[in-house]
Amino acid sequence: MNFNSPFALPFSIGCVVMFAVIAYKYVRWLYIMPDSDKRQIKANIFSRRTWQAVGECVTESLLHRRIFRVNPVLGYMHMSLAFGWFLLIATGFVETVAYMGWTPVPLRGHVFFKYYSREMPHTEMWQMVFTQVMDALLLFVLSGVALAWCKRVYSKMMGMRRTTRHVWGDRIALTALWCIFPARLLAESTTAALWHNGGFLTGTVGSLLASSLSVEALLRMENAVWLFYALALGVFFCAMPFSRYMHIFTEVPLIFLRRWGVTSDDRPKSFDHFQLEACSRCGICIDPCQLQRDAGINNVQGVYFLRDRRYNMLSAEVADTCLMCGRCSERCPVGLDINKLRQNSRYSLHNSPSFRRYDYLRGVDSSVGSGKVGYFAGCMTLLSPRIMLAMEKIFDSAGEQVWWADRNGGVCCGRPLKLAGEIDAAREMMRQNTALFVKHGITTLVTSCPICLKVFREDYNLPGIEILHHSEYIARLLDEGRLKVKCNQTEYTYHDPCELGRGCGVYEPPRQVIQSVGQLLEPEETRNHALCCGSSIANTTISDGAQLRIAESLGRSLEATGAQSIVTACPLCKKAVKRGTKLPVYDLAEVVADNLTAQSPQSE
Amino acid sequence: MKVTVIGGGVAGIQTALALKGLGLKPVIIEKEDTLGGKLRGWHKLFPTMTPVGEVLEPLLRELREQNIPIMASTEVLGIETDGVITSHGKVESRATVVCSGFDLFDATLKEEYGYGIYDNVITSADLERMMNNGKVALVDGTQPRRIAFLHCVGSRDEKVQQRHCSKVCCVTGVKQAIEMRRWFPQSEIYNFYMDIRMFGSGYEEMYRSAQQEHGIQFIRGRISEAAPVPGGKVQIKAEDTLIGRPLKMTVDMLILLIGMTAGCSNSHWAECAGLEQSDSHFMRPLNVFEGNVRSALPNVFYAGTVTAPKTIGESLNEANAVAFRVAEYLKGL
Repeated sequence: MNFNSPFALPFSIGCVVMFAVIAYKYVRWLYIMPDSDKRQIKANIFSRRTWQAVGECVTESLLHRRIFRVNPVLGYMHMSLAFGWFLLIATGFVETVAYMGWTPVPLRGHVFFKYYSREMPHTEMWQMVFTQVMDALLLFVLSGVALAWCKRVYSKMMGMRRTTRHVWGDRIALTALWCIFPARLLAESTTAALWHNGGFLTGTVGSLLASSLSVEALLRMENAVWLFYALALGVFFCAMPFSRYMHIFTEVPLIFLRRWGVTSDDRPKSFDHFQLEACSRCGICIDPCQLQRDAGINNVQGVYFLRDRRYNMLSAEVADTCLMCGRCSERCPVGLDINKLRQNSRYSLHNSPSFRRYDYLRGVDSSVGSGKVGYFAGCMTLLSPRIMLAMEKIFDSAGEQVWWADRNGGVCCGRPLKLAGEIDAAREMMRQNTALFVKHGITTLVTSCPICLKVFREDYNLPGIEILHHSEYIARLLDEGRLKVKCNQTEYTYHDPCELGRGCGVYEPPRQVIQSVGQLLEPEETRNHALCCGSSIANTTISDGAQLRIAESLGRSLEATGAQSIVTACPLCKKAVKRGTKLPVYDLAEVVADNLTAQSPQSE
Repeated sequence: MKVTVIGGGVAGIQTALALKGLGLKPVIIEKEDTLGGKLRGWHKLFPTMTPVGEVLEPLLRELREQNIPIMASTEVLGIETDGVITSHGKVESRATVVCSGFDLFDATLKEEYGYGIYDNVITSADLERMMNNGKVALVDGTQPRRIAFLHCVGSRDEKVQQRHCSKVCCVTGVKQAIEMRRWFPQSEIYNFYMDIRMFGSGYEEMYRSAQQEHGIQFIRGRISEAAPVPGGKVQIKAEDTLIGRPLKMTVDMLILLIGMTAGCSNSHWAECAGLEQSDSHFMRPLNVFEGNVRSALPNVFYAGTVTAPKTIGESLNEANAVAFRVAEYLKGL
C-alpha cells in the first residue's frame, strides 16, 4: 500500500517535532536529577509502586477520576477527550493490523487508515464491526469537544464559576485541538461518501454529502479535508510541547516518579519541571481560591503561578501573594504540590544565606520548669494569653509536670521564615530549638500552634520525642481519663486551621475534644475543604483589608451553622476569625479548661 | 416645628437647647435611662482638669428649664423622611439630628495586653470610674508603685480595623498620668506612645508640664505583649524606638488608653436610611467643610462624634452649628 500521499506531511512534521522536543525535555530533566532522587527511583522501580503507578495512569491520565469528583460533566468532558482519543488510536492500530497483518506501517498509515484503506474491500463482518466501533469512539470524542465549546460559553454548567485565561500559545493549541475531531469527521465522511466505507456516523454524514454534492466536487473536497485534518494535527503536535497540552504526556512520568517517592523540595530541583509541565491549566484551582473569591485577586492562583514559573516570567508578586492554605492542591486533578513549588520559588527569590545574622541566638534558653512533657507555645500563642492560661489549667488538672520551652520568650519555630523562602535562616532557628529540646530531655513535645506543629513534624529531627498538637494531647488525656470535663448543650462549630488540617492531617482529635464538652456543628466547607482564615503567615503581600474580607466570609459560613460559638485550634486563626464574626471565638484549650470538673487525678 | 434629636449626650443636649433657642421643638431620643452619655463616666476633663459636673450639670438644668421632651430608654429603629421609628412607636418630625456618638474600643480584642485576663490591666475608662468612686488601687487594695500607660489601643491599628486616630487619647493619657501622679506621688509613671498629638489649645503645655513638673516618662514605642508575673504584677515587652532597643519592664498597673470606635448601631439605621459610612464606620458627612453637619439626605443632620472622634468642645460647637443648619433647612421648606 502506498502511504506517500502529500496531505499527511504536516502530521508527520508535527509528530517529529513533538516527540523530539518531549524526548529532549524528559531526558534532560532525568539527567539533571539529583543523585538522591535517582537512588529513590532505583530503590522503587521494581516494586508494587510501579504497578500502582500504572493503575493511577489509567484512572487519572485516561479516566480523570479526580475531575469526576469535582463535577461529573467536567469529568466526562476530560475523559471523553483523553480516553476517547486513546481508544481511537489503540483501536485504529488494531484495525490496521487486522487489515494489513504484521507488516510495518508508518504512523500516518494508522492515523489516516480510513483514507488509505478506501480502495480495500470491507465486506467482512469484523471489518464492519471495526468501522462501527471507530465511529462510536469518534462520536464519544466529539461529544467531549462539544462540551468543551459549551464550557467556553457557560462554564457554570460544569460547576466552574471561573475558567483559566489562556496565553496565546495555549489558544493556538486549543483551536487546533478543537478542529482535529470535526475535521476527522468531515474527512472520513467525505471518503465514505465516495467509497461507501462509513459507519453509522461517517456513513450517514457521507450520504448527506453525496446527496448534495457531485462526485467531482467530493473528489476535490476529499483531498482538502484530509489536508485540513492533517494540518490540525500537525499544528497541535508542534504547539503541544510548548503549551498546556504538555500535561497529556507529562502526567505519566509524574505519576511514576511520585509513586517512586520523588517529591519537590524546599529548594528548586529537576522534579519541579515534571510538576510544572503536568499542569493542564484546567483552572479547577481558581474557584476554591479565597483570594479570588473574596479579595478580587485574579492573577496568582495555582494555574497562573505554575504557568508563569514554567515560562520563566514569575514575578515576586505572584509568588508571594498566596495564603498557602492548600485548598487548590486539595482539588487539583493532577495532585500537584503547588505549595511546595511556590515555597521553593520564594526560596529562589528571597533566600539570603547569612549565618552571622543569628549569632545572638546561641545559647538562648529562657525555659522554665522541668518535666518529660515540653510545651512550646509559639509566638502566636504567647500573644493569646487565654490559650496559655487554659493550657496551664489543663496540665495542672491532668497532674502533668511540664517544661515550658518559651514561656518567657524563645526562638521562632522557623516556619514563617521557611514559608517566606528564607530557608537558611529557618534552618538556623530549627538548629537552636532542636538543641534546646534535646538538652532538656523531653519525650513529648506539645504545641498549641499548628504552624509550629507542621515544621516540627516535617523539618525537625527529634528522635525519641513525640510531637503532638494540643488537640491530640488533650484528646489523649480525655481518653486516658486523666482529664474530666462536663458535657453541656452548647453548640459549637469548628474551624479547621489550614496548617493543622490540610497541613498535618489532624481532623479527628479536635472534633473528638469538642464533642466531649458540647455539640459540634460542621460548616458547609469543612475538613480538607475548610476555608482559610485569611491571616496566614505565608502571606507577605495581601493587604489587611483583603485579609479582613476573607475572615468575614469565613465568619459568615461559620455563623450559618447556627452555632453559639466558634472553636478553632490555632492562635492565629482565633485572632483572624474574631475579626470576621460577632460570635465568640475560642481556642480548643479554652473550651476544655472552662469545662473541667473538680475531680482531677491530683485531688483524687 | 418638630425636630428629633437622636442621642442625649453632650452633643444631643446642646443641639436640643440650640434648636429650642431658635424657636423649634426638639425632642431627644436616648437609648439609656439617663442623659449625659459617655460624659457621665468621666472624672475630670482635659486640659483644664474641670470636673465633669461643671459641664454636664448646667446643660441638664437648662434642659429641664426649657421643658424639652425626652424619650429615655428608647431605641431608634429607622429614620424616614417624615420622622423616626423607635422602639416606642413613630416620632413624627420635619428633620432629624443624629448625635448618637461613639463606642469605646473593646480592649479584649487586643488579647496580647491581657485585659480581662490578668489583674491590674485596666482601661482609661476604668480609671476614670475608679477616680469617680474615689478609690484607685490594685486588685489587692494596695497602691501601685510603677504604672504604665499604653497609647493607641484600638486606634491607628489595622489589625483591629481601627485605622483612624481617636484624637483625644493622647491628651487623656497625659491628663491621667498627671492625676495618677497626684494620687501616688511616689510612683514611677511611664507613657508608651507612637506619636504624641497635642493639637488643642493648652495641650502642649500640659504635656510639657507632665514631663517637667510631674516627672512622667514618655517612651516612644508600642507595647507588644503583656504577661502576668507572680504577685499580680504585669510584665510588658516593648521597644524604645528612639534608642532602638527592646525592653522588658514589670509594672504594677497597666492602663490601656482605648480609642473611639464608630457606634455599633450606625450600620443598621444608616443602611435603612441609605446613608453612607466612612471606612472606619463613622457616618460620612456631606463634606468636611461647610457640609460637616449635613448628611447626604436633606432632612438628616449630624453633630458630635457620630461622624468622627471629637473633643467635648468640638461636639458642643457642632451642636450649635447643626441647629443653625436645621433652622435654615426648615425655613426653606
